[in-house]
Amino acid sequence: MSVVGECIAAFLFGSVVGLLVQRSRFCNTAALRDAILFKTYRNTKALLVAMMILTMGFTTFLTFGDGNPMHFDVGLNQVAGLFLFGIGMVLAGACTVSTWVKSGEGNVGAMWALLFTFVGMFLFSLLWSANYWPPAPASMTGEPNLETLQLGYSNAATLQEKYGIPAVVFGIGQTLVLLAIYRAILRRERHGDSG
Amino acid sequence: MEFFRKTLDPVIALSVIAVLDVFLFLVLGAWTVGGGETMMTGLAAQLVLGDDLQRIPFWSLVFPPDISYWKIYISLGMLFGAFVGALLSREFYLRFPRRLSEWVLATIGGLLMGFGIRLAFVCNVSTFFGLTPEMNLGGYLAVSGIIAGAWVGSMIYKRILEG
Repeated sequence: MSVVGECIAAFLFGSVVGLLVQRSRFCNTAALRDAILFKTYRNTKALLVAMMILTMGFTTFLTFGDGNPMHFDVGLNQVAGLFLFGIGMVLAGACTVSTWVKSGEGNVGAMWALLFTFVGMFLFSLLWSANYWPPAPASMTGEPNLETLQLGYSNAATLQEKYGIPAVVFGIGQTLVLLAIYRAILRRERHGDSG
Repeated sequence: MEFFRKTLDPVIALSVIAVLDVFLFLVLGAWTVGGGETMMTGLAAQLVLGDDLQRIPFWSLVFPPDISYWKIYISLGMLFGAFVGALLSREFYLRFPRRLSEWVLATIGGLLMGFGIRLAFVCNVSTFFGLTPEMNLGGYLAVSGIIAGAWVGSMIYKRILEG
């Protein structure tokens, strides 16, 4: 696909996402915050359903060597980074999706949070330029590197390669776990209704 | 039109998004937001700093500013789609945070999100809609981090609500 084609496809995808998220009031922050604080699961259930569809879709195509999975080494920085992100999204009342969606609705607070997300990224670029951690993708090897607190690269496709079991089998396993969590939430809601 | 009058069930909305995300995964890569935002930051910084941006190695080694980076257009698309949805459902109007504390929380929250995304290479979208469904180890690490962070954030938020 040409570069222009890529940008158009991405814009069309984003537009449909923006429209659907705006009309459904889905919020990833609420999916976690409301489950923790208020024991309400409207957004959590939607998130789980999406993850089940995606797990089956991605791992089915990965089984046949199709698709474009994210490719970089992972490690402690994912835990630390998303920990900071998790605090930030609850305080800001919006995540990466809802800052854009709420901005599109005219929410100036979301625009302000988005602006400071950019500032946070720029501040990180200054810090990275002083210590070069986590390693840049160009210097990643795919193997564990404990010196840089990196565990390497692995996903359903590498599991298939390593164990000779189709990626989709692992996908079915993960989908069943997600389904069990979904059903536990439904049971909890029914119990809450009757109680 | 009914679609713009009633709130859509988020399960339906997210199911449609998930199916589209599978197609996006096939042609480009899974849905992500942080990468596009980082590129926008780089482009904005280049506009302000010009050639001085080269003095910050991150912007030459990790994210050389490039306006044709497709992930930018996912974010712009979301802004556009939400604007159209809000306009047609008559939900568009400028809302300003009323209290100083809301401005402060949005500032701190935004900074933590931006810093966290770059530290982790991923945002919440890549975590839940990309890495974890690909069964990437990073997805599980990121999910642990975001749940712990959301818990700490929720406790802070609760204390603020209780005054």
